[in-house]
Amino acid sequence: MGKQIQWETSLTTAKAKAKKGEKLILMDFYNNL
Amino acid sequence: MEENFVPLQIDFNKGKALVKRYSVKWTPTIIILDLNGNEHHRFIGFLPPEDFTAQLILGKGKTEFDLDHFEQAIQCFQEVLTLYPKADAAPEAQYYLGVAKYKSSHDPKQLKLGLEVLQRDYPNSEWTKKALPYSLIP
Repeated sequence: MGKQIQWETSLTTAKAKAKKGEKLILMDFYNNL
Repeated sequence: MEENFVPLQIDFNKGKALVKRYSVKWTPTIIILDLNGNEHHRFIGFLPPEDFTAQLILGKGKTEFDLDHFEQAIQCFQEVLTLYPKADAAPEAQYYLGVAKYKSSHDPKQLKLGLEVLQRDYPNSEWTKKALPYSLIP
């Protein structure tokens, strides 16, 4: 079974985590129709 | 995925500032950002898992390319072509592979070699058309 993705909801937090982990950011814009 | 990316989800109806900042008009829109929030790649619409993963690796490669990290970029583009040669992202990866090899080596022949692979493996791709002028390289 796949690991659950831990989504961030704040770009500021995502940038801080990306800097800390030397990662990129995958930003997913979604819409619940 | 989380080995290389921090996943960030934005509700299109609530995240108005980011929707405006990144000019998002439709969902799903996936954007690959560097750690400063600068955009390097985007794709729109639902994709099957293999195509989705290929787009993520392509996006990582394009980010490394934009940051002048050509060796890392080459690794990403080769990974797309090795693991997902049938994905829609593959011709673009092949195009950028030739360009990144040229930028890394300053040898224009790399562009022509890249075109030859595009013509052989992806003859109907727009990326093959975009590389056609490289046929003039001696």
